[in-house]
Amino acid sequence: MIIWPMSRIRGVMSCRQAARVIQSYLDGETDIGTGRAVATHLEMCRQCGMKAATYEAIKEALARQARETDHETLERLADFVDELIHTDPAGGPEAA
Amino acid sequence: MTGEDEGRGPDSDVSDHQAFTNLVTPELDILYRVARTLVRRPGDAEDLVQDTLVRAFRGIGGFDGDYPRAWLLTIMRNTEVNRNRRRRPSLLFDPDSSDAVADIGSAGQPEEEFVGGEFERAVRIAMIALPEHYARVVELVDIDGLSYAETAELLGIPLGTVMSRLHRARARIRKQLAAAGMAPPGGIT
Repeated sequence: MIIWPMSRIRGVMSCRQAARVIQSYLDGETDIGTGRAVATHLEMCRQCGMKAATYEAIKEALARQARETDHETLERLADFVDELIHTDPAGGPEAA
Repeated sequence: MTGEDEGRGPDSDVSDHQAFTNLVTPELDILYRVARTLVRRPGDAEDLVQDTLVRAFRGIGGFDGDYPRAWLLTIMRNTEVNRNRRRRPSLLFDPDSSDAVADIGSAGQPEEEFVGGEFERAVRIAMIALPEHYARVVELVDIDGLSYAETAELLGIPLGTVMSRLHRARARIRKQLAAAGMAPPGGIT
Protein backbone atom coordinates (compact mmCIF):
# COMPACT_ATOMS: atom_id res chain seq x y z
CA MET A 1 0.00 0.00 0.00
CA ILE A 2 1.31 3.47 -0.86
CA ILE A 3 1.03 5.98 1.95
CA TRP A 4 1.09 9.55 0.64
CA PRO A 5 2.45 12.27 2.91
CA MET A 6 -0.33 14.65 3.94
CA SER A 7 1.49 17.53 2.27
CA ARG A 8 1.01 15.79 -1.10
CA ILE A 9 -2.75 15.80 -0.76
CA ARG A 10 -4.19 19.03 -2.08
CA GLY A 11 -5.83 21.25 0.52
CA VAL A 12 -4.88 19.07 3.47
CA MET A 13 -2.67 20.35 6.24
CA SER A 14 0.79 18.74 6.37
CA CYS A 15 2.13 16.99 9.48
CA ARG A 16 4.51 19.89 10.01
CA GLN A 17 1.70 22.43 9.80
CA ALA A 18 -0.44 20.33 12.13
CA ALA A 19 2.41 20.08 14.63
CA ARG A 20 2.55 23.88 14.85
CA VAL A 21 -1.07 24.22 15.94
CA ILE A 22 -1.89 20.91 17.56
CA GLN A 23 -1.56 22.21 21.12
CA SER A 24 -3.71 25.28 20.44
CA TYR A 25 -6.26 23.00 18.77
CA LEU A 26 -6.42 20.67 21.78
CA ASP A 27 -6.79 23.69 24.08
CA GLY A 28 -9.62 25.14 22.00
CA GLU A 29 -7.55 28.19 21.15
CA THR A 30 -7.63 28.00 17.35
CA ASP A 31 -10.13 29.66 15.01
CA ILE A 32 -12.83 27.51 13.47
CA GLY A 33 -11.09 27.15 10.09
CA THR A 34 -7.79 26.04 11.60
CA GLY A 35 -9.61 23.72 13.96
CA ARG A 36 -11.38 22.01 11.08
CA ALA A 37 -8.14 21.66 9.12
CA VAL A 38 -6.38 20.08 12.11
CA ALA A 39 -9.32 17.76 12.78
CA THR A 40 -9.28 16.62 9.14
CA HIS A 41 -5.54 16.01 9.28
CA LEU A 42 -5.84 14.00 12.47
CA GLU A 43 -8.54 11.84 10.93
CA MET A 44 -6.43 11.14 7.86
CA CYS A 45 -2.99 10.76 9.45
CA ARG A 46 -2.81 7.80 11.77
CA GLN A 47 0.54 8.78 13.27
CA CYS A 48 -0.49 12.35 14.11
CA GLY A 49 -3.86 11.08 15.30
CA MET A 50 -2.13 8.78 17.76
CA LYS A 51 0.09 11.57 19.02
CA ALA A 52 -2.89 13.87 19.43
CA ALA A 53 -4.65 11.14 21.40
CA THR A 54 -1.61 10.93 23.69
CA TYR A 55 -1.60 14.70 24.19
CA GLU A 56 -5.30 14.56 25.00
CA ALA A 57 -4.70 11.80 27.52
CA ILE A 58 -1.94 13.90 29.12
CA LYS A 59 -4.27 16.88 29.33
CA GLU A 60 -6.99 14.76 30.89
CA ALA A 61 -4.57 13.25 33.40
CA LEU A 62 -3.44 16.74 34.39
CA ALA A 63 -7.00 18.05 34.60
CA ARG A 64 -7.77 15.28 37.08
CA GLN A 65 -5.07 16.72 39.31
CA ALA A 66 -7.05 19.95 39.61
CA ARG A 67 -7.23 20.98 43.23
CA GLU A 68 -10.76 21.58 44.38
CA THR A 69 -10.90 24.63 46.58
CA ASP A 70 -12.49 23.53 49.81
CA HIS A 71 -15.68 25.21 50.90
CA GLU A 72 -14.15 26.58 54.11
CA THR A 73 -11.38 28.38 52.22
CA LEU A 74 -13.87 29.98 49.84
CA GLU A 75 -16.02 31.02 52.77
CA ARG A 76 -13.02 32.56 54.56
CA LEU A 77 -12.10 34.49 51.42
CA ALA A 78 -15.69 35.70 50.98
CA ASP A 79 -15.68 36.82 54.62
CA PHE A 80 -12.38 38.57 53.97
CA VAL A 81 -13.94 40.52 51.07
CA ASP A 82 -16.85 41.49 53.29
CA GLU A 83 -14.50 42.62 56.03
CA LEU A 84 -12.32 44.48 53.55
CA ILE A 85 -15.09 46.63 52.13
CA HIS A 86 -16.26 47.57 55.60
CA THR A 87 -12.99 48.06 57.45
CA ASP A 88 -10.24 48.70 54.89
CA PRO A 89 -7.55 50.55 56.86
CA ALA A 90 -6.64 52.66 53.83
CA GLY A 91 -10.19 54.00 53.71
CA GLY A 92 -11.50 52.17 50.69
CA PRO A 93 -11.05 52.48 46.96
CA GLU A 94 -9.04 55.36 45.56
CA ALA A 95 -10.83 57.45 42.97
CA ALA A 96 -9.58 57.05 39.41
CA MET B 1 -15.25 52.67 39.12
CA THR B 2 -15.44 55.71 36.87
CA GLY B 3 -14.83 59.44 36.94
CA GLU B 4 -18.29 59.80 38.44
CA ASP B 5 -16.73 58.69 41.70
CA GLU B 6 -15.74 62.27 42.43
CA GLY B 7 -17.79 63.83 45.20
CA ARG B 8 -18.63 60.43 46.53
CA GLY B 9 -21.11 60.14 49.30
CA PRO B 10 -22.10 57.25 51.51
CA ASP B 11 -24.46 55.89 48.84
CA SER B 12 -21.75 55.75 46.19
CA ASP B 13 -19.48 53.97 48.69
CA VAL B 14 -22.14 51.34 49.25
CA SER B 15 -22.65 50.78 45.52
CA ASP B 16 -18.86 50.67 44.94
CA HIS B 17 -18.51 48.14 47.72
CA GLN B 18 -21.29 46.03 46.28
CA ALA B 19 -19.76 46.30 42.81
CA PHE B 20 -16.43 45.15 44.18
CA THR B 21 -18.04 42.19 45.94
CA ASN B 22 -19.95 41.22 42.78
CA LEU B 23 -16.77 41.52 40.75
CA VAL B 24 -14.44 39.43 42.88
CA THR B 25 -16.73 36.81 44.39
CA PRO B 26 -17.04 34.69 41.22
CA GLU B 27 -13.25 34.80 40.83
CA LEU B 28 -12.27 33.70 44.37
CA ASP B 29 -12.02 30.03 43.40
CA ILE B 30 -9.77 30.57 40.38
CA LEU B 31 -7.68 33.13 42.29
CA TYR B 32 -7.05 30.62 45.04
CA ARG B 33 -6.23 27.79 42.63
CA VAL B 34 -3.81 29.98 40.69
CA ALA B 35 -2.25 31.16 43.95
CA ARG B 36 -1.74 27.49 44.91
CA THR B 37 0.15 27.02 41.67
CA LEU B 38 2.27 30.09 42.27
CA VAL B 39 3.19 29.62 45.90
CA ARG B 40 2.34 25.95 46.59
CA ARG B 41 1.67 26.17 50.32
CA PRO B 42 -2.05 26.56 51.08
CA GLY B 43 -1.48 29.14 53.82
CA ASP B 44 0.74 31.25 51.57
CA ALA B 45 -1.79 30.95 48.77
CA GLU B 46 -4.56 32.31 50.95
CA ASP B 47 -2.31 35.18 52.02
CA LEU B 48 -1.56 35.94 48.39
CA VAL B 49 -5.25 36.02 47.49
CA GLN B 50 -5.98 38.31 50.43
CA ASP B 51 -3.14 40.68 49.49
CA THR B 52 -4.43 40.65 45.91
CA LEU B 53 -7.94 41.52 47.08
CA VAL B 54 -6.67 44.41 49.20
CA ARG B 55 -4.75 45.83 46.24
CA ALA B 56 -7.71 45.30 43.93
CA PHE B 57 -10.05 47.07 46.34
CA ARG B 58 -7.76 50.04 46.63
CA GLY B 59 -7.19 50.16 42.89
CA ILE B 60 -10.72 49.58 41.67
CA GLY B 61 -11.08 53.26 40.78
CA GLY B 62 -8.69 52.65 37.89
CA PHE B 63 -10.42 49.52 36.63
CA ASP B 64 -12.48 49.92 33.46
CA GLY B 65 -14.83 47.05 34.21
CA ASP B 66 -13.66 44.79 31.38
CA TYR B 67 -12.17 41.36 31.98
CA PRO B 68 -12.13 41.32 35.80
CA ARG B 69 -10.27 38.00 35.88
CA ALA B 70 -7.41 39.35 33.77
CA TRP B 71 -7.32 42.48 35.95
CA LEU B 72 -7.21 40.42 39.15
CA LEU B 73 -4.55 38.08 37.76
CA THR B 74 -2.36 41.05 36.86
CA ILE B 75 -2.73 42.37 40.40
CA MET B 76 -1.88 38.93 41.75
CA ARG B 77 1.26 38.83 39.63
CA ASN B 78 2.41 42.25 40.87
CA THR B 79 1.56 41.30 44.44
CA GLU B 80 3.57 38.10 44.18
CA VAL B 81 6.52 39.93 42.62
CA ASN B 82 6.56 42.39 45.51
CA ARG B 83 6.30 39.60 48.04
CA ASN B 84 9.20 37.78 46.39
CA ARG B 85 11.34 40.89 46.30
CA ARG B 86 11.07 40.97 50.04
CA ARG B 87 11.72 37.27 50.52
CA ARG B 88 13.61 35.55 47.74
CA PRO B 89 14.33 35.64 44.01
CA SER B 90 11.13 35.41 42.03
CA LEU B 91 10.10 32.18 40.40
CA LEU B 92 7.72 34.09 38.17
CA PHE B 93 10.21 36.11 36.21
CA ASP B 94 13.18 35.62 33.97
CA PRO B 95 12.36 31.94 33.89
CA ASP B 96 14.12 31.32 30.58
CA SER B 97 17.40 31.58 32.37
CA SER B 98 16.32 29.08 34.96
CA ASP B 99 16.80 25.37 34.82
CA ALA B 100 15.19 24.96 38.15
CA VAL B 101 13.20 21.81 38.46
CA ALA B 102 9.52 22.17 39.19
CA ASP B 103 8.37 21.24 42.65
CA ILE B 104 5.06 19.92 41.44
CA GLY B 105 3.39 17.98 44.18
CA SER B 106 5.99 18.82 46.77
CA ALA B 107 3.30 20.47 48.87
CA GLY B 108 0.71 17.80 48.15
CA GLN B 109 -0.54 15.33 50.66
CA PRO B 110 1.38 12.03 50.56
CA GLU B 111 -1.73 10.09 49.62
CA GLU B 112 -2.25 12.33 46.59
CA GLU B 113 0.99 11.08 45.13
CA PHE B 114 -0.40 7.62 44.68
CA VAL B 115 -3.91 8.40 43.51
CA GLY B 116 -4.70 7.50 39.92
CA GLY B 117 -3.46 4.91 37.48
CA GLU B 118 -0.04 4.18 36.12
CA PHE B 119 -0.46 6.67 33.28
CA GLU B 120 -1.37 9.49 35.66
CA ARG B 121 1.59 8.70 37.87
CA ALA B 122 3.88 8.72 34.83
CA VAL B 123 2.50 12.12 33.77
CA ARG B 124 3.05 13.44 37.26
CA ILE B 125 6.64 12.20 37.29
CA ALA B 126 7.23 13.75 33.87
CA MET B 127 5.90 17.05 35.23
CA ILE B 128 8.36 16.92 38.10
CA ALA B 129 11.19 16.55 35.60
CA LEU B 130 10.16 19.70 33.70
CA PRO B 131 11.95 23.00 34.21
CA GLU B 132 9.90 25.22 36.49
CA HIS B 133 8.88 27.73 33.82
CA TYR B 134 7.53 24.97 31.58
CA ALA B 135 5.69 23.19 34.37
CA ARG B 136 4.08 26.40 35.57
CA VAL B 137 2.49 27.14 32.20
CA VAL B 138 1.19 23.57 31.90
CA GLU B 139 -0.27 23.74 35.39
CA LEU B 140 -1.96 27.08 34.80
CA VAL B 141 -3.56 25.92 31.53
CA ASP B 142 -4.25 22.23 32.15
CA ILE B 143 -4.82 22.09 35.89
CA ASP B 144 -6.10 25.57 36.77
CA GLY B 145 -7.98 26.04 33.49
CA LEU B 146 -6.64 29.47 32.50
CA SER B 147 -6.75 30.53 28.86
CA TYR B 148 -3.53 31.32 27.01
CA ALA B 149 -4.28 35.04 27.33
CA GLU B 150 -4.90 34.80 31.07
CA THR B 151 -1.72 32.78 31.55
CA ALA B 152 0.29 35.35 29.58
CA GLU B 153 -1.23 38.15 31.67
CA LEU B 154 -0.49 36.39 34.94
CA LEU B 155 3.11 35.53 34.09
CA GLY B 156 3.80 38.80 32.28
CA ILE B 157 5.00 37.02 29.15
CA PRO B 158 3.90 37.19 25.49
CA LEU B 159 1.14 34.88 24.29
CA GLY B 160 3.59 33.23 21.89
CA THR B 161 5.84 32.33 24.80
CA VAL B 162 2.94 30.65 26.57
CA MET B 163 2.28 28.63 23.43
CA SER B 164 5.89 27.63 22.85
CA ARG B 165 6.39 26.62 26.48
CA LEU B 166 3.23 24.52 26.41
CA HIS B 167 4.32 22.89 23.18
CA ARG B 168 7.77 22.04 24.48
CA ALA B 169 6.54 20.95 27.90
CA ARG B 170 3.93 18.59 26.52
CA ALA B 171 6.39 17.23 23.97
CA ARG B 172 8.81 16.44 26.81
CA ILE B 173 6.06 14.76 28.80
CA ARG B 174 5.04 12.70 25.76
CA LYS B 175 8.63 11.68 25.08
CA GLN B 176 9.04 10.56 28.66
CA LEU B 177 5.83 8.56 28.42
CA ALA B 178 7.02 7.04 25.15
CA ALA B 179 10.31 6.07 26.78
CA ALA B 180 8.30 4.36 29.51
CA GLY B 181 6.28 2.51 26.87
CA MET B 182 3.09 4.43 27.61
CA ALA B 183 2.84 6.43 24.40
CA PRO B 184 3.66 5.84 20.74
CA PRO B 185 7.04 7.30 19.79
CA GLY B 186 7.90 9.66 16.92
CA GLY B 187 5.56 11.69 14.69
CA ILE B 188 4.47 15.22 15.44
CA THR B 189 5.90 16.82 18.53
